[in-house]
Amino acid sequence: MTVKIEVIAGGIPHDQLMIAGLVGSLVCIYLTYLNAMTNSFVFSFFGGLGAVCALIWGSNTIKVLCSYGIGTGVPSAGMLALGSGVIAMLLATRYGIWAPIMAVVLAAIIGAILGYLANNVLMMKIPVMIRSITEMAVIGALSLMGFSAMAAGSFDFAAISTGTQTFLGMTVTSYGNSYMGLTIIAVSFFLAAIAIQHPFNATLGPSWKQDRMLWLAGECGFLSMITVAVMSLAFLSLNAALVSLGISIILWAYTYSQYITLSKRDAASWLDSKPIVEPEGH
Amino acid sequence: MVENIVLGIGLTAMAGALATVAGAAEDTESDIGSQGDPNSQVQLAPQMGYVHRIFNKAIAGEPPAYGLWVALGAGITGALLAMGVNAILALIIGTVLTTLVQGVYATTAYLGRIASLAKFGQPVYIDILKSMTTVTMAHAFVAIFTTVAMCYLMNAALGHPFPLALLGVVWGIALGAAGSATGNPYYGKERQYQNQKFGAGVPVAASGNIVRYAEAGERNSLDNGWFTSKLGGPASGICFGLIVFLELWRTVLFEPFLHGWGAIIVGFIIVLVFTIMDRYIEVWARRTYGPYVKEAAA
Amino acid sequence: MSVTPKPAGGVGMDMTAMGLAILLMLAIIGVAWYMFGLSLIFYALIAIIIGGALIGFGVHFVPVGGAPAAMGQAPGIATGVAMLAGGAGLAGLFGGAWAADLGIVVACAGGAIGGALMMAITCMFVNVIYVYGMGIPSASGKAKVDPLTGDTQTEYKSQGTEGHGLPFISFVGGIVGGFLGGLGGTLIYYVLLKWVYVEKLAHALGAGPLANVTPIAISLAGIFAIGLFLVNAVLAAYNITGTIEGPHDPKFARWPRAVVATAVASAVCGIVAIAIVAV
Repeated sequence: MTVKIEVIAGGIPHDQLMIAGLVGSLVCIYLTYLNAMTNSFVFSFFGGLGAVCALIWGSNTIKVLCSYGIGTGVPSAGMLALGSGVIAMLLATRYGIWAPIMAVVLAAIIGAILGYLANNVLMMKIPVMIRSITEMAVIGALSLMGFSAMAAGSFDFAAISTGTQTFLGMTVTSYGNSYMGLTIIAVSFFLAAIAIQHPFNATLGPSWKQDRMLWLAGECGFLSMITVAVMSLAFLSLNAALVSLGISIILWAYTYSQYITLSKRDAASWLDSKPIVEPEGH
Repeated sequence: MVENIVLGIGLTAMAGALATVAGAAEDTESDIGSQGDPNSQVQLAPQMGYVHRIFNKAIAGEPPAYGLWVALGAGITGALLAMGVNAILALIIGTVLTTLVQGVYATTAYLGRIASLAKFGQPVYIDILKSMTTVTMAHAFVAIFTTVAMCYLMNAALGHPFPLALLGVVWGIALGAAGSATGNPYYGKERQYQNQKFGAGVPVAASGNIVRYAEAGERNSLDNGWFTSKLGGPASGICFGLIVFLELWRTVLFEPFLHGWGAIIVGFIIVLVFTIMDRYIEVWARRTYGPYVKEAAA
Repeated sequence: MSVTPKPAGGVGMDMTAMGLAILLMLAIIGVAWYMFGLSLIFYALIAIIIGGALIGFGVHFVPVGGAPAAMGQAPGIATGVAMLAGGAGLAGLFGGAWAADLGIVVACAGGAIGGALMMAITCMFVNVIYVYGMGIPSASGKAKVDPLTGDTQTEYKSQGTEGHGLPFISFVGGIVGGFLGGLGGTLIYYVLLKWVYVEKLAHALGAGPLANVTPIAISLAGIFAIGLFLVNAVLAAYNITGTIEGPHDPKFARWPRAVVATAVASAVCGIVAIAIVAV
């Protein structure tokens, strides 16, 4: 016996979400460049906002892909997205100011090839497979780039690879104490991997509603931003990290309360300390 | 590598002990939250008309979820350590923050899944949300703390080249895989379907008919956790503890021999020993239990 | 519209698609040969392709039963196949990375044995729980007789199920799967670390000769190994559509598709991983 997933029409069309997510993510990630222009780290949180845009888009992509019944479940799609995304993102960081756009291009190429392999060589034969896997690779790359920019201050390879270390009272540049040196990118990897698939995985069922899923996607994204803000304490100034933390907490609390309100709206009943309510006929 | 072999063995034993506790806590946590493959039954039951009061924590499976928790704990710990924070304090802060994240994910999973079952009349039980979430967070704290502490020992004391966050990913996924493999059948078959015949798998026709009324009235996930912590939890603990301990032990003790081939030969021997033990168990079961026979008509 | 999640993977092979894919891989190898000659970097790409194919092949050996296994309705381990293989492979990578300074053969052998060790212990404990905790003997649903031991299976299958536990062939399959996964993952990590990054990373970062870039090299190689491992494991999981009993399962015959797919995927990802420092 398997769980039935019912595809319900309605809600925001996927193409609209895709364009909004892509444009929003790129714009927000580029806004972290204000850091370089103002010679501070305060604008790093825009990277996190960019990642959240990508994650909201991604939750709908996973919904589109998994509605066709790929047979192995939702979390693997998240792993595929991030596995291909991290490779594209790391190469893209070598391109300086062009990094976010290069990330999209590279991830799209890798994702398209992986989609072709999955659909035609592995004979999955799902209509939306190639497009979905391409989108997911792009989402993976963008969300990773967003979190990396938020933690390290910039999406440039040099910025994520160099950190500081206090040695005999002096601060020296150290490669070991950087975002890459401590492999914090692995944490961003898994934060994004779980956050991409959780909204659809947690709200799937016969009474699935798109708005509830999208609010949950926002909530997962902002929750991840809170943790990245804490980790950015090691790489950015205290003020910048506190700004990121404050913005993340406020936005998380807002999306979380909205999600609870929507769940209350959709639930069959909202009971506290009541016994099992048997349906008629049982 | 550790110069002092006695210190190395002591650290290995410590890591193994931490891993054992981690495995037990991980399995109990995932059984109280009902995560992973057995959770498909908790999801299915209302659709077959069996409304229940079990927590439905659908956060991917245990390996990716624990990959995230341990990686996150290790990452925050690593970042704080790089800032010069005291190691124990960094561990605690990292684990507490991760546990809070895990708790939030658990609540959103329960609310989402149950609200999406509204068509079948499954209510959202707020008291289940309030009671179970804190308990599962507590077990998660133990599991994450011990695993991150183990990773810290490997990195700082045993000299493994991986940074903390990378070790966190590796051992988080391994913890989830080992705990899930060992604990899931015990929770799924033995406790969820306690009303089925003992000593046989659940027949396909009984899918969805999980136990909802039991010893103490209406069953909830705390009852399930109480049961599985008697065997499923400790077995997962010993499984993961053995994995970590033997992996470290064969390397620390035998790698200096034969330019590293010593550790590989010892590893091969250990695999053979476990194969023999498994074969013995399989044959014992066949001989002692015997084949399934049709019941004679009464 | 109600869509039931069903195994959508078809049987059979699309030879045109496979041919195109292999052509792509050969093209990538050609580009690498043109750009780097017959250097260590070129051999690194070949090694990454081999490592990826090993991972894809190894995943087919691991016995995974999915949700039915958690209820004693199907044989195998009750976890997702990609993540179980990932767990074993990464545990192997841990051991292999520790031995990375001892040379490629020792490191890869260490990684392979590490993966096999984790699977051996896990599979044994699965049987311990089934036999001593639940009173259920192991039985396969897809084979009448265990190919390795000759034990008959049908009469040990409980009524209404497809089998349960881990028969010996599945146990051995698990060990082989862990072995190949650990081997592939460690191979990818080693060549990226020692043949590509240690050589070229300092130049790419613009670092002076005294700077210690090893942490970055280890992190890059590690995260690439994990990312490639997950991509290959998920592709292989798509190939077997979620559950497989082990090498005796008829689904096992699908392995050529997965080897081609993972080899090509590794080629694509490998050339990108190399391009980070070498272009």
